[in-house]
Amino acid sequence: MSHKPLKLIIIAGSKGRVTVKYPYQEPLITPEFRGEIEIDPAKCIGCGACVKACPPNALELLESEKEVILRYFVGRCIFCWRCIDVCPVNAIKGTRNFELATDKHTDLYTLVVHTRTTCEICGKPFETTRMQRYIAEKSPVTEEYASICPDCRKRLLAETVSARRVGISEHKE
Amino acid sequence: MSIKSSILKRSIWVFHLNTGSCNACDIEILDALTPFHDAERFGVKLVVSPRHADAMLLTGPVTAEALPKVINAIEAMPRPRMIIALGSCGCGGGIWHDTYSTIGGVNKLLEILKERGIVVDAVYYVPGCPIRPEALLYAVASIKGIVSKKREMKIYKAE
Amino acid sequence: MLNLEETTKYIELASKSGGQAKIEGDTVFITIPPDRLVDVADTIFNKYNTSFRVCAGVDERPLNGHFSLVHLFTDDKAGLYVAVKTYLSGESPVAPSITSVVPAADWCEMEARDLLGIEFTGRETYRLVLPPWWPSNLYPLRKETPYNYRPEPRLESEKLGYSREYGVIPLGPYHPALHEPEYFELYVEGERVVDVKYRGFHVHRGVEKLAESRMSYQQVNFLAERICGICGFVHSTCYALAVEKAAKLDVPERAQFIRSIVLEVERIHSHLLLLGVAFHLLGYDAGFMHIWRIRERVMQLAELLTGSRKTYGINLVGGVRRDVNEEKKQKTLEALRELGREFKNFIEVAISVPQVKKRLTRSGVLPREEAVKLSVEGPVARASGVNKDARRDLPYAAYKYVSFKVPVYTEGDNLARVLVRVDEVFESISIIEQLLDKLPGGSILLTDFEIPEGRVGVQVVEAPRGGDIHYVVTGKGAPYRWRVRAPTYANIPALRVMLRDQPLADAPITIASIDPCFSCTDRVVVVRDGRIEEIKLTQLVK
Repeated sequence: MSHKPLKLIIIAGSKGRVTVKYPYQEPLITPEFRGEIEIDPAKCIGCGACVKACPPNALELLESEKEVILRYFVGRCIFCWRCIDVCPVNAIKGTRNFELATDKHTDLYTLVVHTRTTCEICGKPFETTRMQRYIAEKSPVTEEYASICPDCRKRLLAETVSARRVGISEHKE
Repeated sequence: MSIKSSILKRSIWVFHLNTGSCNACDIEILDALTPFHDAERFGVKLVVSPRHADAMLLTGPVTAEALPKVINAIEAMPRPRMIIALGSCGCGGGIWHDTYSTIGGVNKLLEILKERGIVVDAVYYVPGCPIRPEALLYAVASIKGIVSKKREMKIYKAE
Repeated sequence: MLNLEETTKYIELASKSGGQAKIEGDTVFITIPPDRLVDVADTIFNKYNTSFRVCAGVDERPLNGHFSLVHLFTDDKAGLYVAVKTYLSGESPVAPSITSVVPAADWCEMEARDLLGIEFTGRETYRLVLPPWWPSNLYPLRKETPYNYRPEPRLESEKLGYSREYGVIPLGPYHPALHEPEYFELYVEGERVVDVKYRGFHVHRGVEKLAESRMSYQQVNFLAERICGICGFVHSTCYALAVEKAAKLDVPERAQFIRSIVLEVERIHSHLLLLGVAFHLLGYDAGFMHIWRIRERVMQLAELLTGSRKTYGINLVGGVRRDVNEEKKQKTLEALRELGREFKNFIEVAISVPQVKKRLTRSGVLPREEAVKLSVEGPVARASGVNKDARRDLPYAAYKYVSFKVPVYTEGDNLARVLVRVDEVFESISIIEQLLDKLPGGSILLTDFEIPEGRVGVQVVEAPRGGDIHYVVTGKGAPYRWRVRAPTYANIPALRVMLRDQPLADAPITIASIDPCFSCTDRVVVVRDGRIEEIKLTQLVK
């Protein structure tokens, strides 16, 4: 009874050394681990679905006259991979990278810069070039319709409907 | 004073400062001292008072209630002072970076400290939620100069 | 187990008090006028022997022009939830306090006062959650206050308390024995602790207000998981179950099984963590290192099953995001077998070490009557003879398909609390083996559903520290009101009883033996007016 605590020496001896000498040895990571994300600039269309789904706002869409910038701040990322779930074109990929320590704050940003198209009618910038092409390919609208901004589309629709009510039969899309 | 001076290339004694975190990063710090990961190979030791510490491991978005006590604790450290900000809450304020009860991460804290005349010599950022113990060891190895840092700012143009 | 004949006595009680009752699933909703509140609470708590869980204030002025106050009880023998609701005036809400008949309701009433401005009659009032310098008339949870308005913080800390007869020892907020910032002021006479003052809520981050404003239903899962890093999956599951109950969704069975498996994995990791920390505080560092070496396998198992060592992030409203295939199942079973064997070998050695055994026995005693009066939760209650476990009384997820024992001890000292947790680890291993054996096929996530507005859901989940309760009122795209009460909230007021007349050296181990998780307790920040006011624990327990 009194020698039970000494049994600890036997337990410790039989286990031996369990330390994994990272960084000189490979760390113990499973293939399932969720690390940093990578955005593929060739596929991203700048739609902002990932921005809406991100809980800590690590992905943000910054808009100016000429450009729309998708900014990923890895400092605030919680590595939940919800952005990967909701991206419509599979532009985001998950990696197993966790070696992200740095001493400069600006190292933690990744930017993807998109250009903006302007409306054919009113000339104001409204969406990214990629997104315009994506809409024109995927939905049954003409190129002409896809290049008009939403305000002008609404105005045109109202005008067409009122013109039909009055009796003019010209059909404009 | 440059942090890369030879004084800090020996062992770094750390003080663990929890400014209102959920505790996941804190138990991973304790996990880095247990046999599997063994931070003591690098000379890292947890000390009981900020007066003995070389670096401060800061977790949590700094909450409004804990703010005066955090300032006292950082002021008690002798120069050169280093702050290692851990996790999503420390680096950028976390998932609650803009609520009424938090300050919003280590950058706002540094502004407040500068106004009061407390100088912090170096700041390190370790992202993760929660951080892996290996990520903390990577940061310590990077401070000591064993490995070089890998993350850099990337700007891509879509067209 | 659910017993619907018991609901008749609640319906009769409601109609006798001038109100009405409604039954939905396993919840009884009672609405009564405010002046009958104390009598109804007295009957339900003392005569029918239910547990009091929490009270929540709701700002319903956009809907019907009133504030409302809800008190939540659970009838453990019958398996029912009882929600007692009263409506208060929209201009200056006043409600009678029930602390004279239900002492456990102290803190939650003060929280409703701080966050919403509801005044209580018949008791002493004080500021609880918000810092002392917070401006008055700024109530964060009212609907017109924006969630991101920050008043100027104060940068000087206040002075230590002073007493003529006793010595004052401050413990915290930053202390080598504590992992979180919390402040205890111990009044000592020689080596004996005579009184304790507690100043907490340093971890208040504004979680409940944030969920109502900038988040959507699916994002709140990730927010709930970060309320606490050690028992995070419990909060995330409880929120998902409460919303699914309110919207009456039909979640696939396989998802419920996976949720239960991960819940039990979390329970094992949390108990091993606490045992290691307890040994460290007693001075037995070899025990700390060995137990955390054994625990590392559980963290790797969790990473294999869910994708991250902690804060798993696999819960969504409607199911889970990751599946369990045959290879993972085999690895899990093997890891658990080895874990059980090593842990059994080691814990027999550790408990028989003389310093551990002598220091834990007969210190920090909590008698059974106090445990019932304060409605304490979890292993603290089970070590004092109260047979209470939400997995067996109010079954949720997949627990109705497994059989397990609930360990109960009667001494109520620190050693009993440690032994309850040791037994629960072995029970959890057996539960996971049973669940993996009976895992059904099918999908894991429900994708096509809608959540209607104005419904209410209440759910209790047994966390490693006790029963955790979430109360959700659904709104449009995001919850309208979400109230979380973690188990440590109910356990801290019991510290005053446990720390009295104990030697000073036993204070850290007694505080650690209730397994405090202060980040669960503080999730809401309460703003108080003006003055700094220390609360004595004497005021907390009437």
